Amino acid sequence: MKIIGLIITIITGAFLVYAAIDFPAWSDPNSPASTYLSPYFIENSMKDTSVPNYVTSLLADYRGFDTMFETTVIFTAGLVCFILLRISGGKEPETSHYRHVLTGVTVTLKKGHKIPESEDFERIDDLWTPPDLIIKTSCRLMIPFIQLFGLYVIAHGHSSPGGGFQGGVILGASIILLAISHDLRTALEKMREKVVAILCPIGVSIYAGTGTLCLLLGVNFLDYSALASVLHVDPIAARSHGIFMVEIGVGIAVMTTMIWIYNNISSAGKYNQGL
Amino acid sequence: MDIFVCILLFSGLFFLTAGSIGILRFPDFYSRLHPAGKLDTLGTLLAMLGLALFNLHHFSLGALLTSLKIMLIIIFVFVASPTATHAIVDAGVRAGLAPWTKGEKRR
Repeated sequence: MKIIGLIITIITGAFLVYAAIDFPAWSDPNSPASTYLSPYFIENSMKDTSVPNYVTSLLADYRGFDTMFETTVIFTAGLVCFILLRISGGKEPETSHYRHVLTGVTVTLKKGHKIPESEDFERIDDLWTPPDLIIKTSCRLMIPFIQLFGLYVIAHGHSSPGGGFQGGVILGASIILLAISHDLRTALEKMREKVVAILCPIGVSIYAGTGTLCLLLGVNFLDYSALASVLHVDPIAARSHGIFMVEIGVGIAVMTTMIWIYNNISSAGKYNQGL
Repeated sequence: MDIFVCILLFSGLFFLTAGSIGILRFPDFYSRLHPAGKLDTLGTLLAMLGLALFNLHHFSLGALLTSLKIMLIIIFVFVASPTATHAIVDAGVRAGLAPWTKGEKRR
């Protein structure tokens, strides 16, 4: 069986190498990409879409399908982590520990008993280590600014490097930083599992929905110029707005996927205190 | 003005180089984090300050905005870098790594 796998791998690799021979050389000025494709985008991006950063216009407009399915791939990665790792329900542990925050006294309860709802107690696990005050405080200080910067990167993708993917990663990292500096339960209080699981497909749907809206308005899928009649702007500005809507969708999808994957992997699907 | 920018950039470079040498030369985990945490922060701070000043050569509102953004980077590096070093040291202590004492072999 292993030998068959090896043969298949070698044949596939040989085909790939054979196909790669036909590629134009690195930075060949006569290759199709640099004779007419790139110059066209550089010259016409501003005219076609009124977006100064032509990486963004290329990514979300000229090549909109590709980016849509990239977002879907990211969503699928999050979903697969969830399906493979998440342990829901299952056996309740024999004992559960609660820590009185002010005094540090830990109460251990047997199965079936519950502590009355109170702010003074926090649920802890067997392998609990006290969180460090310095790290907690400075992370609490940084997180709002990180999130603000993430929103800035998403919104400013039109005129500077940035966009939905990068901004979404920064936003997701801010929640992951909260989970690392405190524990996973604190982060889950801010961003519940259900919220993450619902927002992630919503992000993909915003992208696909923008395309479908164009389809319903009578033009091609993801041809944002049709949004002009809805937004009351000229078709070229409508392309810019369409790109922005799509970037928001990408940002939401990437942010929640990051958080989803971290939540599942760091707690091995149990959603307890995490790392 | 140019001289001042040069002094800032070169002192930043000096601290960054000294930090790199320190990371290579010091004997163990904790003492290596000492140059990594302190000198990198100071070096970045000085170099960034030099860049912010250099950017104000042709004074305009846009240049001032860019310089203010560089100052914001300085503030966040000043908060984040020592915290990161503290977190790494904390992890080392909790994992039970004993500090190096004189006479032992380098680790």
